[in-house]
Amino acid sequence: MKFTGRFTVSPESSVFSLVMLPLLGAALVMLAKAFLKGRMAAGMQFTAMLVGLFGPWLALLYTFPLVWSGLTVEGVIGNWSGVVGITFQFDGLAWLINALGYTVAGAAWIYSLGAGPRGPVFSSVFLIQTAALAATAMTADIFNLFVCLEVLGIASYVLVASSEKNGAFLASFSYLMVSASSMVFFLAGLFGLYRLTGSLSYSGISQALLALPDQGGGLAAISLSLIIAAVAMRVAMMPLYGWLPDAHALAPHAVSAVLSGVLIKTPLFALSRIMLIVPLGAAAAQLLGYAGAATAIVAVLVALSQKDAKRLLAYHSISQIGYVVCAWGAALDLGMDTMAGQHLMTAAFLHAFYHALFKGLLFLSIGTSTDRAGSRNVYTLRGAASTLRQSGERLPITLLSFIIAALAISAIPPLNGYASKIAITYSLKGSWQYWVLSAASIGTIASFIKLSRIFWPQPARIRLMATEEPSAVFMPSVATARHSGLPAQIVPGPMTDTSAVKRANLPVGISQAMLALACVASGLAAPWLYGFVLRLLDSAASLGFTSLNPGPALYTADNLLKTLYMVLAGFVLFRLAVSALGSRLLSLVRDRHRGFHGLFLSFAVGLSVLCVWLLLV
Amino acid sequence: MSGRARRILFLAQIALCVLLVAAVLIPVFLSSMPWPLSARDYLQANGLAESGASNLVSAIYLGYRAFDTLGETIVLLVAISGTIAIIAHGGAVLAQGYGLPSGTASEPARHLPPKTRTELLEVVTGKLGPVVLVFGVYVMMYGHLSPGGGFQGGVVIASGIVFLALGSRVDASNSLTSPENLVRIESAAFALLLLAASSGIISGSGFFGNPLAGAGLTPVAFIITLNAIIGLKVGAGLGFMCIAMLGRGK
Repeated sequence: MKFTGRFTVSPESSVFSLVMLPLLGAALVMLAKAFLKGRMAAGMQFTAMLVGLFGPWLALLYTFPLVWSGLTVEGVIGNWSGVVGITFQFDGLAWLINALGYTVAGAAWIYSLGAGPRGPVFSSVFLIQTAALAATAMTADIFNLFVCLEVLGIASYVLVASSEKNGAFLASFSYLMVSASSMVFFLAGLFGLYRLTGSLSYSGISQALLALPDQGGGLAAISLSLIIAAVAMRVAMMPLYGWLPDAHALAPHAVSAVLSGVLIKTPLFALSRIMLIVPLGAAAAQLLGYAGAATAIVAVLVALSQKDAKRLLAYHSISQIGYVVCAWGAALDLGMDTMAGQHLMTAAFLHAFYHALFKGLLFLSIGTSTDRAGSRNVYTLRGAASTLRQSGERLPITLLSFIIAALAISAIPPLNGYASKIAITYSLKGSWQYWVLSAASIGTIASFIKLSRIFWPQPARIRLMATEEPSAVFMPSVATARHSGLPAQIVPGPMTDTSAVKRANLPVGISQAMLALACVASGLAAPWLYGFVLRLLDSAASLGFTSLNPGPALYTADNLLKTLYMVLAGFVLFRLAVSALGSRLLSLVRDRHRGFHGLFLSFAVGLSVLCVWLLLV
Repeated sequence: MSGRARRILFLAQIALCVLLVAAVLIPVFLSSMPWPLSARDYLQANGLAESGASNLVSAIYLGYRAFDTLGETIVLLVAISGTIAIIAHGGAVLAQGYGLPSGTASEPARHLPPKTRTELLEVVTGKLGPVVLVFGVYVMMYGHLSPGGGFQGGVVIASGIVFLALGSRVDASNSLTSPENLVRIESAAFALLLLAASSGIISGSGFFGNPLAGAGLTPVAFIITLNAIIGLKVGAGLGFMCIAMLGRGK
């Protein structure tokens, strides 16, 4: 890297602009807040967000030819010796995670322009979170991974707490306590590995472990399980998911979209770098894959029981991440140098990517609808579609977005969720995970039929109350309106007729339309995307996919028939869930005792199971 | 379930939790493996020559692993903004520095309420404040030679700022303890830190490379610069947070 007179940006430097541009944006936001006032400050903040969230696309374009041709940009930050320096590795996987992160973050920011939150604290912390995502994607040093996870974590605690909702502080606090304590275990594991190997870079650790007698023995197994358990906590897989529903349900909608879409997946894929090369990595991945399958089915049952619309979505995030972890674990178990492993990893990433799109869209559209309607109760809210129309949405973008996203998560062709679920189940065919994931899909369909009821027109019996609901979030004022005998339409709602809502419609509509189009387009282009991701992920192992492999055939009679059966089963399950017995059972699930200490107990149990598993292998 | 049974169940869960965690953690810390030597030997042989800092700790955290330090600085930055946001939303203080809607927060109270002020506190803190500030700057600027550095120096500077805030008279204004100025220093220092980190890209020594490498200066100049920037940022940030917290008691 010599300065050659002509200004050239080396690949190493351009890769780090993915981290530095959002950070620079955050610095600009803070400078604007400190030195400027009024219109100037707002303008500079807007520019800084553009630089931080859309500037990195230039770097992604610039580095694309490199990763596409199978090259990896790697080195030591600051050109120090690898013995003590921080190594990084920017390959196809890092490129893909960055593309995922910047897509969702961009859409979420546009949404936040309309529906909030706004202000310099939100903007700067949001940018810092995005920067940390980029850094996590390309680190190849275990202490640097720790730092990246810390930055990711602290940014998300602040973002969750920035919500005005009751309980958001508490949700943020329990998220903080759980994930900060799990990071202590990460540090302990890091200490163990350093003690054994004297190295912090992934490659140094794996080489030293392989050279040790017994490959490090018990200490290596324990240390690895400590690190994996701490990351699994962030990913929210079984049994470590207890913090997620509150945090994701109570965060501002734009933040929920990023948290569910990107934040829980990035640590998972970052972890795969180290699991691929250390001994015992495959064995650990196998157990995590099993846990993923269990997560998919258990979380969907809990989701089916939920009353709060956003909490229902949050449980679906856990369930969907279960699919991803299941395929991811199976892929690492087989190894990325096998054809089947590559296909499974591709399926896992694609599902993570598509889930980010449709779950982001779900959070935004449900958030918009429930805000306008003033209620989040799935059981009582009806007629949200007409509320949206009343609030000045001429094109029913929010309703259409919800329909597209709900069909996508239910894996209905030709949307993107169908393609990735087919890809995952195709590779797992014949194993028990296949049946578990199929059952979870039926639960997903049932649960989204239940959620979609909030858009159905209200039955005549509760018409008066429901049309007034927009005018009053709380029941008492509904009661007074009824007493005074006013027709519902005359009482203007606080959310329905203010010009602020009208102005908010544009960015809200744009962001939803962007994600909805992305869902449809990625569904239609699924075979092409499959080949694209497969080739990018292959850059490490170089099996040599020169032509684009379209993946498993999507629209075979078998698959379509199976989808039809699952939809039918979903309807049956939905009818069962709303029957008297079903709703009593579900309310038991919903109101089960959830204590703060339970979060720690589940961590301790999960950690020791993983530890025993690795020691016995 | 009765209250007593629930309590026993709760304690049993906690005990199980502690037992499991201890069973996993104790072997890690009781390991009899020989300590790894490669990084130590490397630093002993090359640390001073490569970084120019005789305090090898600062050679590590501002040289070899400066990117980690950037991350930790950001953790502190976000923690402070989050704390301020929570304090302000709590209904008390200091919204203005962080641009929060002033409806939820009252005017910043820069001084302790009269009842808790004593002559003793005022005299001691007022006189000590400047001395503490000077010491903080010393710790910050000599971090490459002796124990200390930007973080430690910054914390000392922050306590100097708190002393000045405690010691100032009710009607006296002090530009170093005003929240606006502290926020300005903090944000400017953060921007400078990012510029220093990426300036190596333009001068050709790469991301987080020493931009002064070709200019004939010793490599330690970069470490001193980073120490100073981090010290300012940490001092201003923590000082601001403490002043915000002081403002609570009305």
